[in-house]
Amino acid sequence: MRFSPGTVAPVVMAFAAACASSDFVTPRDTTSVIVSSNPVTMTVLGQGNFHPLRTTGEIFVRGTTAYTTTWGNTAAQATVFYIWDVSANVPTLIDSVKVDKATTLGDVAVSDDGSLLVVASEYTPGSILVYSLADPRKPVLVSRFTSNQTIFGVHTAEIGRVNGTLYAFLGVDPGSGVGSQLTIVDLGTPANPRQVYSTQIGSPYVHDTFVRDGILYLGLWNAGVAIWDIGGGALGGTPAAPKEIGRVQTVNGHVHNIWWLKDPVTRITRYAFIGEESPGSLGVSSSGDIHVVDVSTMSAPKEVAFYTVAGAGTHNFSVDEPNGILYAAYYNGGIRALDVRGDLGTCTAAQRSTPLNGTVTFCDLRKMGREVAIGLKDQGSGVYVWGVQYLGGMVYASDMPNGIWKLRAVTRP
Amino acid sequence: MRMLPLRLAAASSVVIITLPFSLSAQHEGHDMASMSRDSTHASAHVMAQAISLVTHADPSTGGVSRTQFAVTQMVVMARGSALRNHVEVNAALNGEGLTMPNGELNTGAYGEGFVDRRHPHTYVHELMLTGRGSTGPASYSVTAGRGFASFGTDDPMMRPLVKYPINHHLSQVLERGTLVGAARLGLVIVEGSTFGGDEPTSPSSLPRAARLGDSWATRVTFLPTAVSEFQVSYARIASPEEPTGHGLDQRKQSVSVRSASSDGGRYVLAEWARTVERDHDRDVDVFGYESALAEGSLRAGPVAVALRLEQTDRPEEERLADPSRTPRPASDLSINGITRWRVVTVQMAAASVTRGVFSGFPFVEVARLTAAPRDARSLLTPQRLYGTTNFWMATAGVRLRAGAAHSRMGRYGVALPNPH
Repeated sequence: MRFSPGTVAPVVMAFAAACASSDFVTPRDTTSVIVSSNPVTMTVLGQGNFHPLRTTGEIFVRGTTAYTTTWGNTAAQATVFYIWDVSANVPTLIDSVKVDKATTLGDVAVSDDGSLLVVASEYTPGSILVYSLADPRKPVLVSRFTSNQTIFGVHTAEIGRVNGTLYAFLGVDPGSGVGSQLTIVDLGTPANPRQVYSTQIGSPYVHDTFVRDGILYLGLWNAGVAIWDIGGGALGGTPAAPKEIGRVQTVNGHVHNIWWLKDPVTRITRYAFIGEESPGSLGVSSSGDIHVVDVSTMSAPKEVAFYTVAGAGTHNFSVDEPNGILYAAYYNGGIRALDVRGDLGTCTAAQRSTPLNGTVTFCDLRKMGREVAIGLKDQGSGVYVWGVQYLGGMVYASDMPNGIWKLRAVTRP
Repeated sequence: MRMLPLRLAAASSVVIITLPFSLSAQHEGHDMASMSRDSTHASAHVMAQAISLVTHADPSTGGVSRTQFAVTQMVVMARGSALRNHVEVNAALNGEGLTMPNGELNTGAYGEGFVDRRHPHTYVHELMLTGRGSTGPASYSVTAGRGFASFGTDDPMMRPLVKYPINHHLSQVLERGTLVGAARLGLVIVEGSTFGGDEPTSPSSLPRAARLGDSWATRVTFLPTAVSEFQVSYARIASPEEPTGHGLDQRKQSVSVRSASSDGGRYVLAEWARTVERDHDRDVDVFGYESALAEGSLRAGPVAVALRLEQTDRPEEERLADPSRTPRPASDLSINGITRWRVVTVQMAAASVTRGVFSGFPFVEVARLTAAPRDARSLLTPQRLYGTTNFWMATAGVRLRAGAAHSRMGRYGVALPNPH
């Protein structure tokens, strides 16, 4: 941990930490950052020893076990998720688990205590499947939850604990005449999931959510990013009765996913990273930027910076928070590693740009030298990276046509 | 053609219903002729049609061969005029939502949540009220209701081949709440229309009031001879596939030449169409689809032969558990590739079998199709979807009809070029 000179910095940081998630404005930190004019190539350690014929979806890794989902399966193929041993450089397929009444398993997550695996299923009947991970490599189905509010397909299922209870936050597809739904399910009794809240929301979608410390972020497409108090804010919200704290419209909308950063080194909690999922042709092209939103005043969040890649668009994120490195799945653009430590909203005039079709300039992370590494860009056959996860010095990626990859993470000098 | 005028007493006018008895092909003359001959009276024309058929597609969705018996194109159409032809009504009620709710087997077809099956049309396919007038050598009309925007070519239902071409959603804009203005001067027709861009989501769906007027189209038609025409049209459609308006917009172009003999015995159409999908949030074009099509028919004695050549790009979408269905609305703005289809279709139709006011036209139609990805990196390629790139489709059936066919569909008022 390095701080620039300044005797007030530790005091200020301590105060900022105390005010995290509140409406207090955290001061700018003075931590040094990586400034790179030439991003390095991430080292590929290995590609899975099994190349699935099925198209790969999301990835989640815990310990030495990875789970990858599959997308767009035909009835003849059946729908499965895969279990991998990722202890060595080359991920090794261990097993697959078949899921009935689903064509796509778009999301997968493991609970913070490692006891449960939650898998989202599309399309009708949309559901979540809850597995016991008593043996992480032999998931056992505990329950399958579906309701009238999930019927058109569960697109994403994030899980998080609020006041000690585990919840699933479901982004549900729109259906004929019915809008997209946010549905919150209490997983306190895994064998008996209980829906505690559901509402039609998003213009026209709610795609992904991010939950942390009782604050829920919602990606509402053209309705922007909403920040809800579900137990961690000052408005008295709960998972069953959320209260909206604030909302922000990022440039061009198409808000897909969020990561609210809590930097354990600088204790800065000021930034949320927003993934914009603009149109693409899967396997071929993609579009959409990363937008950086200052949420230090959650009731009035504002966009301060962005990152764009010509010819490619972003999808899901994972952040190595101790090292301040954000990894973004970038579909045909591979993986992009950004230094997100420090002040992202202050830059010189030369470091500012206007996003495509935008009218206001923002700090441009590329011009600020924050793009520190690129992974999986040139692998022979084209990649199309859906998901990425940092864990223990490694980065794991799910690649729709090619399966799973393991790469060495970026190290902060 | 023998005509049987049937006069019905009406409160203040005389209504003439014409029911031709002997028909032998798709283009047996246009009912508007009877209207113009009888301009002092109100007139009406009614026809009903249904096609009973069996289709075998090898392979179809999921890479397996499929056979389907279906009743398609079940429609009752009516046209009427009053007040010396200053007022006209066009109505078409479509029963496909009842007879083929799961669509018609049709390899390559797509749209409105169906793939490799043609979707059923809405029950109220067309209900348009037209007012027309003239000033000097120019004539004009204004039409409002649910129906076709002034774009592209005639609805395939009024064309010789029974199976719809793949380019239906590139070459026609229909079942919209629309207002059409048209003017004709000599050999030139100019049309403009404004409408709601939202396409139907089910046979019973109606245009959304909030979407009315968010899209427009314009078409210019030149009539070099009494039996031929050349049209160029352009349309901007807001979010046709996402009903709340947050989907991709479309910018469409169409160019076509058409010629049909007055007795319907000879017909030819050549068209080119292009649709560009545009992300209006980012103000950029994102996908483009093209189509080129040529078709014709010729009646020789008791037999009519029709041929269609088509090349059309199709966007690929994720499939539901039923592989012939796609999510509607989709869950994002992406596609899963573009497939270029090439199709040769041949039809042979026999002379009609007539009983009373009903006629039956037996036909056989065979199509050979090939498909290739526009970009081999696409996730959904024909090889993955079907296990092959070559397809056959054979159809046999009978087109049943009562009343004279409406030989044109998609134009109103003075925009109807000629009666055939």
